[in-house]
Amino acid sequence: MAEPLLRVDDLEKHFPITRGIVFQKEIGRVRAVDGVSFEVARGETLGVVGESGCGKSTMARCVMRLLDPTGGRIMFDGQDITRLKGHDLMRVRRELMMVFQDPYASLNPRLRVGAIVGEALQVHKQGSAAEIKMRVQELLEVVGLNPEHYNRYPHEFSGGQRQRIGVARALAIRPKLIVCDEPVSALDVSVQAQILNLLKRLQREFDLTYVFIAHDLDVVRHISDRVAVMYLGKIVEMASGSELYDHPLHPYSGALLSAIPVPNPDVARARRPIVLEGDVPSPINPPSACHFRTRCPRFHEGLCDVDEPQLVERDPGHRVACHFPLESWPLTDLRMGAEPVKTP
Amino acid sequence: MPLLDVRDLTTHFRTEDGVVRAVDGVSFSVEKGKTLAIVGESGCGKSVTCMSIMGLNPRVNTEISGEAIFNDRDLLKLRQSELRKVRGSEISMIFQDPMTSLNPVQTIGAQLREAVMLHGQSTKRQASSRAIEMLKAVSIPRAETRLDDYPHQFSGGMRQRVMIAMALINNPDLLIADEPTTALDVTTQAQILKLMNELQRDFGSAIILVTHDLGVVAETADEVLVMYAGKAAERGGYADIFYRPEHPYTWGLLGSLPRLAQHGGELRPIPGSPPSLLRPPSGCRFRVRCSYAMDVCGAEQPPLDPVAEGSSHLVACHLEPGHRRAESERLVGEMMAEVR
Repeated sequence: MAEPLLRVDDLEKHFPITRGIVFQKEIGRVRAVDGVSFEVARGETLGVVGESGCGKSTMARCVMRLLDPTGGRIMFDGQDITRLKGHDLMRVRRELMMVFQDPYASLNPRLRVGAIVGEALQVHKQGSAAEIKMRVQELLEVVGLNPEHYNRYPHEFSGGQRQRIGVARALAIRPKLIVCDEPVSALDVSVQAQILNLLKRLQREFDLTYVFIAHDLDVVRHISDRVAVMYLGKIVEMASGSELYDHPLHPYSGALLSAIPVPNPDVARARRPIVLEGDVPSPINPPSACHFRTRCPRFHEGLCDVDEPQLVERDPGHRVACHFPLESWPLTDLRMGAEPVKTP
Repeated sequence: MPLLDVRDLTTHFRTEDGVVRAVDGVSFSVEKGKTLAIVGESGCGKSVTCMSIMGLNPRVNTEISGEAIFNDRDLLKLRQSELRKVRGSEISMIFQDPMTSLNPVQTIGAQLREAVMLHGQSTKRQASSRAIEMLKAVSIPRAETRLDDYPHQFSGGMRQRVMIAMALINNPDLLIADEPTTALDVTTQAQILKLMNELQRDFGSAIILVTHDLGVVAETADEVLVMYAGKAAERGGYADIFYRPEHPYTWGLLGSLPRLAQHGGELRPIPGSPPSLLRPPSGCRFRVRCSYAMDVCGAEQPPLDPVAEGSSHLVACHLEPGHRRAESERLVGEMMAEVR
């Protein structure tokens, strides 16, 4: 197999909780990302799903090196970028870009569109002012905006158009990898579909690699080749899109999938979703061993709370971290909770 | 006779830039114990419709006309003092954001008791026991001990449960839920939808559910009203809207759903974005984004007419009915076949 573009090993990001003003004493840690490993091949889209607070955005910011990881290793394009600084980091940043969630907050309201999209080109000294202007207008056209709008301010655009500006900015310096952090969740469904189509088209045209983070499982499935499911700072399952959606193995993935409302009344009304009890526990004091055990219908005392399940390959290309993976799909409430059988 | 009958509701806001026609002649009715879903994109007037019925729009610079007959009274003609008696007892409302719709400096118990005591003669003790009963009904664990907790001590899903408990505490005939699950995660959303379903069965309340999520509509609605730019585009039973939709906007909404284009298919989004309600397009407001637009669409507003003689399925579109039906079958048949 060819070398992956991005390879993340055992990535950790803990935020200290401190007490005291002058002498700050650490009294606890928020384990936002707690040992995450994955790789992304060139030209691939890796989707990351999970509920709020599961650490998916923190993970993305670590990969972008916007946050310094507490532990682990990030390999990008064959280079270890985990601890890069200064000029070296700057050089890597030319190939890593990000599209943010909120198209209202992620564009500087006091800069014109031309300046926003061209900023990265200026920072990385990619040509003269005239060249940059030409490139920016070209980019605006690529993302479906009018190049004449070069001199307008962000507030003159609708949410969908702003997100197109965000995409144009990310494309400006021809990055290899674009991390999209909930790029469509603030948009209306018809506009969301426009942006998804745009991202897919750009991937084909510019040979891009995406890490696509979202909480909407249907959106992630639509755009991703492979999908990772995160829960409380860990990846609990990873597989190709169709494999994961047709045969989920982890009980949490199953519950998530069964909870998505289906836009077809007959299907929606016939099925019985697996409704999880309670809320996601705090990442300050996550449950021992398997983080999902407190809400898991298949919890097995003496095993799930003692022995942490590792992310292992069960089927070709399908990794799961669970002692009692699901045998079949779809499952009903009843079978979901049935006495689990330990599989070797 | 329907529980709530809204006729020709119009809400205009006067602003410095001109009149915003947020809701422009919308009619619908809600039957007892049934769920009406109002669907549309942001800015289509679905929330303003609910706020107008409840009399919650700012009085200044707002013009409301039409009728909203509820239990033999026209809500739009009631005085504030009369409306205040209706709100929270006969009609109650759940808002989108459970973080901001509870008072952060009052305990949950105080807020629940207030709802009971404002609308009845109960003592504080009776109100407290009613509050505990409702918290149990919405499955909050250890309900007795949580009355003295403040909203920040509850998670998002729990807060939305408290909101639902508060809304249902006086057994309202009608519950208006404005995007009740939009701020929640899917697993929490599933909990809340299940809960609302059970409570509707037990208490027999009618529900107006405002949402942009067609999946939620498919799960819960009996009737559906599709709104676009302040007007009703299409109205009908849930099966009409999902299996036989006749408005190009409804097709566009369905075509934008990734779930309905699973097998590598391209999404078929609606081009452009919704128009400004300050200067909406002439004639049919959807025509600028509609791939079927004809000359007549710019000249005349299409009336909301039954798709066939005597049908309860209404659509506002100039397309020739036969052509519309054929397109509907072609587009929607493909999409629905992909859903599992």
